[in-house]
Amino acid sequence: MKIIEIFKKNKLLTAVSLAYVILFIAIPDKAYLSVKNSMYYIIEMLQIMPVIFILTSIIEAWVPKEVIMKGFGEKAGIKGSVFSFLLGSFSAGPIYAAFPICKMLLKKGASIANVVIILSAWAVIKVPMLANEAKFLGVQFMGARWILTVIAIIIIAYLMTIFVKKKDIPVQDEQDIGKVTGIDIKEQYCIGCGLCEKLLPRHFEVIDKKAKWKESILNDVQIDELKPVIAKCPVKAIGFK
Amino acid sequence: MDIFTASLWGITGAAFIASLVKDKQKTFNSMKMAKGMMKNMVGQIIGILLLIGLILTFIPPEVIKSTLGESNTFISTIVSALAGSITLIPAFVAFPLVGSLVDAGASIIPAVAFLTTLTMVGLVTFPLEKREFGLKFATIRNIFSFVFAIMIALAMGVIM
Repeated sequence: MKIIEIFKKNKLLTAVSLAYVILFIAIPDKAYLSVKNSMYYIIEMLQIMPVIFILTSIIEAWVPKEVIMKGFGEKAGIKGSVFSFLLGSFSAGPIYAAFPICKMLLKKGASIANVVIILSAWAVIKVPMLANEAKFLGVQFMGARWILTVIAIIIIAYLMTIFVKKKDIPVQDEQDIGKVTGIDIKEQYCIGCGLCEKLLPRHFEVIDKKAKWKESILNDVQIDELKPVIAKCPVKAIGFK
Repeated sequence: MDIFTASLWGITGAAFIASLVKDKQKTFNSMKMAKGMMKNMVGQIIGILLLIGLILTFIPPEVIKSTLGESNTFISTIVSALAGSITLIPAFVAFPLVGSLVDAGASIIPAVAFLTTLTMVGLVTFPLEKREFGLKFATIRNIFSFVFAIMIALAMGVIM
């Protein structure tokens, strides 16, 4: 059972390994050549992979995201855009991890342009990733692509403000506290950090790296207890339902 | 180890020590995060790296040159940009793959188009984006990102 799960999680690796096994039996010469061809990239990757993950984690721990988030809004102008670039560039994770954070910033008054900048910068401009790109494709390649991408992001952000207005973006109405029936956790965004479990073990539990809500009926006191936890969730995956 | 990687280790080492001095617990937690990220990705990384070996062994450089090379830029760029839009692999593992193809003779224009749409355009994550920001925002952002990815790629072709 567990082995099947491991295979399922690593579909690509399983398929490639299978191809290698068949190859080693059928045409061993070619199999050796393939391993030899991969070797250069494996060695290069081993040298740079740990350092990139360590750097990403240190940046994630020390860059004061909350301070950056406070730094912009509708009126923040160029300063706001610079902050948006910084926030996107210094965050870890794929683009969809930025969705709930951007949604929250929109609610707090961030402009469409700045949200587009955060999303795009989050996707393409990562300091440690730039190091990886320079390693495998050259410093010049990385530098040129970086400059062009920054220019493109600014233009896209500006164009977006022409086509999309704030009213086009769906808003969930603020929940009436009297009608709160429980907690909703968006699993796609949860990174299983365990912060909610640490703060309120009575209500939250991390199972299989995803936070789960322990069903219970909420009274006003508990709802007040839950509010700071909802605000503290680093990926903004928790909300009332 | 080349100078570039060595200096990156140097910078990271210094940052790590500074972080350790400032807050031990925070540093340990961040290392736990690094370990988790690595564990999540290592299968995919090894898979891609071994795949590179197979590609380089079984697809002759002439074929890579003729399909992804200079003579075929227009179609290969569009196809690469589309491929980047639908795949959801971390950019981290895409760099060595793309690097190996460029070394084997692929033109950098489709390579850049793939790398840029890979991260900026997301068809797989489109439903999520639509739910949070609405159909209009998600559609227009993805279309613009696609178009600009191709423009970035073409500009790279001129510069490099």
